[in-house]
Amino acid sequence: MPSRCVRVAAACWSSNNADERPTCWKLKHNTRKLAIVPTNLLHNNNNRRTQLPTQPQPKCMEVLLGITGKDFTLIAASKAAMRGPTILKATDDKTRQLNDHTLLAFSGEPGDTVQFAEYIQANSQLYSMRNETELSPSALAHFVRGELASSLRSRNPYSVNLLLGGVDPITNKPSLYWLDYLASLAKVPYAAHGYAQYYCLSLLDKHHHPNITLDEGMKLLRLCSDELKRRLPIDFKGLVVKAVTKDGIETKPFDEDEKVVKDT
Amino acid sequence: MSRRYDSRTTIFSPDGRLYQVEYALEAISHAGTAIGILAKDGIVLAAERKVTSKLLEQDTSAEKLYILNDNMICAVAGMTADANILINFARQAAQRYLLTYNEDIPCEQLVRRLCDLKQGYTQHGGLRPFGVSFIYAGWDPQRQFQLYLSNPSGNYGGWKATSSGANHASAQSLLKQDYKEDCTLEEACAMAVKVLSKTMDSTKLSSDKIEFATVGQTKDGKIYHKLWTADEITALLKKHDLAKEDTSEEK
Amino acid sequence: MASGYDRALSVFSPDGHVFQVEYAGEAVKRGTCAVGVKGKDVVVLGCEKRSAMKLQDTRITPSKIGLIDKHVCLAFAGLNADARILVDKARLEAQSHRLNLEDPVTIEYITKYVAGVQQRYTQSGGVRPFGISTLIVGFDKGSETPRLYQTEPSGIYSAWKANAIGRSSKTVREFLERNYKEDMDREATIRLAIKSLLEVVQTGAKNIEIAIMAPGKSVEMLPVEDIENYVKNIEQEKQEEAAKKKTGRTPGTGTAAILTRSAQEES
Repeated sequence: MPSRCVRVAAACWSSNNADERPTCWKLKHNTRKLAIVPTNLLHNNNNRRTQLPTQPQPKCMEVLLGITGKDFTLIAASKAAMRGPTILKATDDKTRQLNDHTLLAFSGEPGDTVQFAEYIQANSQLYSMRNETELSPSALAHFVRGELASSLRSRNPYSVNLLLGGVDPITNKPSLYWLDYLASLAKVPYAAHGYAQYYCLSLLDKHHHPNITLDEGMKLLRLCSDELKRRLPIDFKGLVVKAVTKDGIETKPFDEDEKVVKDT
Repeated sequence: MSRRYDSRTTIFSPDGRLYQVEYALEAISHAGTAIGILAKDGIVLAAERKVTSKLLEQDTSAEKLYILNDNMICAVAGMTADANILINFARQAAQRYLLTYNEDIPCEQLVRRLCDLKQGYTQHGGLRPFGVSFIYAGWDPQRQFQLYLSNPSGNYGGWKATSSGANHASAQSLLKQDYKEDCTLEEACAMAVKVLSKTMDSTKLSSDKIEFATVGQTKDGKIYHKLWTADEITALLKKHDLAKEDTSEEK
Repeated sequence: MASGYDRALSVFSPDGHVFQVEYAGEAVKRGTCAVGVKGKDVVVLGCEKRSAMKLQDTRITPSKIGLIDKHVCLAFAGLNADARILVDKARLEAQSHRLNLEDPVTIEYITKYVAGVQQRYTQSGGVRPFGISTLIVGFDKGSETPRLYQTEPSGIYSAWKANAIGRSSKTVREFLERNYKEDMDREATIRLAIKSLLEVVQTGAKNIEIAIMAPGKSVEMLPVEDIENYVKNIEQEKQEEAAKKKTGRTPGTGTAAILTRSAQEES
C-alpha cells in the first residue's frame, strides 16, 4: 500500500517539476513552454485584453535613438506619454535597466510596452541573481527576440518596438540591437524607431563612425534632437538620454530648454 | 536497524544521513577510474574502461567519455546506463540555452542543471538516486578552462585535478603529489597516463583499456575537443613507455 | 521505537512525532555552523567555511552565503544540494514579487515563503523534507531596521536578535546569549559574529566567511585580511582575559610575561 501512495505522489510531483524530468526529448517548434516555464518567470497573461487592433500599429510619433561608440552605447527616448492626440505626461521614461550593463528602450502600444519590458527586466535580473553573472547584451537580445517571436505567434501578441544597448561585461565591447514587433533582430552601429528614422538615420549616416567618443556621441544626439524638433509635427517633450559604459548606466543631462529655431 | 532507512525512497536516517546517496557513492567506487587534469592551455580527461574484448569496436563504442556540447565534455564513473539519461538531459539543456540566448551555456550552469536533477532524485519521486559521478571539462569566456566533479548527492565543486571511481583515493593523492600549477596540456596528458598506470591493476596499459579526451584551444582561439582514437592513445603510451607489448600482431 | 511510523514520510507517530522532520534536523546539525547578528544599523552573517583542498579550484567554490535579491542575504546549514534548490526557489519568488508588485520583497515575506516551501515538503507524499536550516537577513526597502530570521526543516520561522544554526549551534547560541548587547555599532557586531564563530572554528580566519548588510546597500563580503585582524585582536584579548583571571584567583601562578603585559594594560 505505501508503494501506491508513493507512485501517485511521484506523478504529481514530477508534473510540478517539469525541468527536473528528462522526458521531453525533442525541442518543440514552439519552444516557449519548454524554454520559459522551467527557467523563467511566467507571463501573467490572463487579464490581457484578447482583441488587438486588426493591424498592430506601434506609435510612430515616439522617438527612440541609439548610438554605439568606442566604449559606450547611448540610448535616447522621447519623454512624452501620448494617447491619441493628447500628451498625458512630459516626463515619461521609456527605458528599463535589464542589468548593470544593458538597457532596453521601448515604444509601441502603451501597456504592452511596459508589461513586456518589465517581464524581460525581471527575467534578466532573475538570471543575474541565480547565476551571479550577467547576460551579455547579445544573449539578452536573442532572448528578447525569442520572446517576441513566440508572443507574435500567440493569440495576443505584444506590439512593441525595442532598442537594446549595452556593453559586454567580459569584453567591454559596446553593442546595439534593433528589434521590432515582428521579432526581427539586427545588430547595428546606430538605430532609430518611428518617424525619427526618417530624420535621424541620414544624419547618423553622415556623422557616425565606430570610434566616436562619448562627447561626440552626445553632440550627435543634439543634432538629431534639433532636427526632430524642427521637423516632427508634434512636440515629443525632449529626450531622456542614458549612456551605458563598462562602469554602468548613467542618465546624461540633456538640456531641455534650449529652443530650436522654428523657421528654416 | 539501518535496514529500515536504506531502501525505497531516499529518506533521512535518525542521525540525519541519506543512506541511499551514500550507497550510490559506494557503487561508484567499484567502477572504473576516471581522472581529469586542468592545464593552462587545456584539460585532459582519462578513464579506465572495464569492459574489454577483442571483438569490441574500439572507436565507436565510448563507454566513459562523452561530448556534451561544442565546448564541454565529460567523463563518467559509475553506472553507464544512468549516465546516459543524464548526458541526454545535459545535451538538451545545453542546446536549449543555445537556442534561447544564442550563446553556449556557461560551464557551471550546465553542471548545476545536471546537479539539480540529481538532487531531485534524492528528495522526491520515490526513485533511487543516480549512481554516477561526472568529471566535466569545459571552457567558457568568463572563466576559461574549468574542471568540475559532481556526485550522486547533487553536490559539485571546481577542481584543478580530480578523480572518481575505483582507487580514487590513491589517484587523488598521486595527483596532489604531481600536480604543477600552470602545466601545459602535454604535461597534463603525461601525468594522466602515469596516474592511471599506477591506479589500474595492470602496470602496462593498452589502448583498449583506457579512453582519453582533451579540450584545448587552437592558435586562432577556437575551442576544440577531441576523443582520442586507439592509435593516438597507443602512441601516447609508447612515448611514456607504459604500453603493453603488442602481442596481437605476432599471432 | 514505533515501527513504521518513521517510514511513511509525513505521518504522525502515536506519540506525536513526525520523525522525518526531526531527522532532517539532525542533517542540519551535521552541516557547518552559521551565525547571524543584528547591530544597530547593520546585520552580519558569519559562516564556517571548510578549508579548500590543494587541488580545488578556488574560483569555483559554492559559498554557503548567497543573495536572494540585492537586499536579502541567506546563509544555510545542512545539505548543500538541497540548499541550492531552495535558494533558487526563493530567488524566483523575489523577482516574481518585483515583477508583479513593483516593490522588492520584505525580509519577512521571503522568510515566510522559504519556510512555506520547507513546510510543504513535510506534508506532501513521496518527498523528504529539506535537510537545511537558513538564516535570512537584510533590510526592507526604505527601512533602517535590520532583520534577522531563521527557518527550520519543519517550516517554522522566527525572528532573532542573534542566532546560530548548524554544527554546535547550541554552544554558539549560548555564547551569543551571554554576550549580545543592544544597539551595537558595525565594528562590535562584526566582532561578536566572529567571536561567536571562534567558539566552534578552531582554525581561525581562513575558515570564516563574513557578509555584512547595511540599509540601501548590497551585501559586502569582508576580505580575509580584515577577518584575520579581528581574529588576532580577539585572541589577544582572550589571552589577556585569561591572564587577568589567573592573577585574580591565584596571583603569581601565571607566567611573568603575561602578568606584566596585563599589568601594563590595567594601569
